[in-house]
Amino acid sequence: MNTAFHPADLAGIQVRPSRLWTQSLGWILFAVGIALYAQFSIARHKENPEDRVVPSAQQLIQGIKSAALESAEEDDPVDANAPLIERFSHSMLWKDTLSSSKRFLIALVLLIPAILLGLHMAVFPYFGALCLRFVTFFDKIVALSLLPILFIVFGIEEWSKIALMVIGVAPTLILDTFNIAKGVPREQIVKAFTLKSSDIDVTYRIVLKQVLPQIINSVRLNLKPLALFLFAGEMIAATDGLAYRIALMRRHMGMDIILPYVLWVALLLFLADAILRFTNRRLHPWYQPL
Amino acid sequence: MVSAPVTLSPAHLAPAPAAAIAPARATEAARVEISLRKVGVAYSAGKEGTKTVLANIDLEIPAGEFVVLLGETGCGKSTLLRLMLGQEFPTSGEVIVDGKPVKRIDSRTGYVPQKYSLFPDRTVLENVMYGPENARAGLLGRLTPSFWRFRRELREEAIQSLTRMGLRPQDMKKYPYQLSGGMQQRVAIAQALLMKPPVLLLDEAFSALDPSTRSSLQELLHSIWAESRPTVVFVTHNTTEALLLGTTLIVLGRHRDEEPEKSNVLVAQQLPTAQLPFAQRCNSAEFREQHEFLERVAFASSSRYRTQPPAQEGCHA
Repeated sequence: MNTAFHPADLAGIQVRPSRLWTQSLGWILFAVGIALYAQFSIARHKENPEDRVVPSAQQLIQGIKSAALESAEEDDPVDANAPLIERFSHSMLWKDTLSSSKRFLIALVLLIPAILLGLHMAVFPYFGALCLRFVTFFDKIVALSLLPILFIVFGIEEWSKIALMVIGVAPTLILDTFNIAKGVPREQIVKAFTLKSSDIDVTYRIVLKQVLPQIINSVRLNLKPLALFLFAGEMIAATDGLAYRIALMRRHMGMDIILPYVLWVALLLFLADAILRFTNRRLHPWYQPL
Repeated sequence: MVSAPVTLSPAHLAPAPAAAIAPARATEAARVEISLRKVGVAYSAGKEGTKTVLANIDLEIPAGEFVVLLGETGCGKSTLLRLMLGQEFPTSGEVIVDGKPVKRIDSRTGYVPQKYSLFPDRTVLENVMYGPENARAGLLGRLTPSFWRFRRELREEAIQSLTRMGLRPQDMKKYPYQLSGGMQQRVAIAQALLMKPPVLLLDEAFSALDPSTRSSLQELLHSIWAESRPTVVFVTHNTTEALLLGTTLIVLGRHRDEEPEKSNVLVAQQLPTAQLPFAQRCNSAEFREQHEFLERVAFASSSRYRTQPPAQEGCHA
């Protein structure tokens, strides 16, 4: 048998990369991205050592330090000799993260009724008939176009931004839950009724329990749209928050702050997704995704 | 329990009269468990007008009977089962189960479908205990100590029932996806039977199984039925299975819209082979004769589901 390695095999559908290959390949694009950035930055700094558009590694480290250990311009300065934890807890990054996370979590909690609405629409035919067309239409409304209305109704404080996030994501989540719940085999529902289940039992103990892993996956997919609406709201009207800071730094060409903030937001979303994925796996060991 | 055998013959091709099954048991005053009176099912087919699926079905199924519904795809046997279940409603006539008209799906009937028969989010034991727990208490009732005592007793009963079905103790903590198709159907039958329903409905419950699993499940189902004699309605398109299991056979044919007065029921009668011990049934000459006849009657317009009569030495459907 010829077991010699052929480069053409790498592109085949039927090949199975080893664990080492899989792990290594997963980091290659990161390395390429960093290398390209570094080269680009070095080239720009050769032309202009004070360049702020593509900050160097030193500028980035300085930017991260000032974001994570120094307070915002609008706040009282922190003692430079204070312990790191204290400096971080009074820092601009921490303050902005807390503000944005609070809005994000409130919006997530307010999306629970949307999930329940979709579930009820799928399970109760008359209720589904009442709501489906309206929700499908509502889903087509561009949420950002409602922002002026939200500012008029809620003012420019917290609730307008939270409402934007909820209004932006809720219709998708309702329809997604509706479709997922509709996918529960009819046999399961019939079987449950023959086993003396009530309507409430069927809705919550049969359908919801079965579709919860898929709903959590749907929420995972909606984390980014949720962050997108949060950023839109914060960039337009806010006095703190991650997006507010990015918008503020844009005015000063503060790329040394903007880039760490962008990566920090990505890391936070990655962590939120990982927590949901882990929770899903632990809570639903029976779930077998296709 | 069973009257003198009547060999199936083309004479039975005429629409079965209302009491086609009942007379065999009339002298024993058997209670009628399921009754269908002039039942018809039709639906609107757009420009083509109305499409009739079932017409003029008159059936009376006595308690304790093992009834097999046989017929080719589209003849309405699953629709008939869904009427008994309460999942569908007739456009004409009435369906009565356990003395009451069927208005919705309820626990008068146990149900074993071909697939998706178990709740995937519950272990085997939880699946089997689900029904009796519901029957015992609502959500608040589960908080009382008496419920937990009941649950302990129920657990023992469920374990016994599953053991009877051939499951090992280690299987009982598994989720349905960890079981084979045959094992899942064993659990589904145990789940339905633990509710002790007067009527057990099985919709092509063994169709997706391999022949040997199917054969062992047929034997198991038959022995359970022989022990406790629930009324069983079993839908299949497998003639051998029908002749092996059924004490009563109902063969449905496709309804033709140009003959609105004619019933779908082609044959409705008790099976003579039902008198024989289960293992010997398929070896009888009657069995082979009936098999051949039913193949001709039930699958007149389609050869898709035709099966060969089983070999002399085995009863594999």
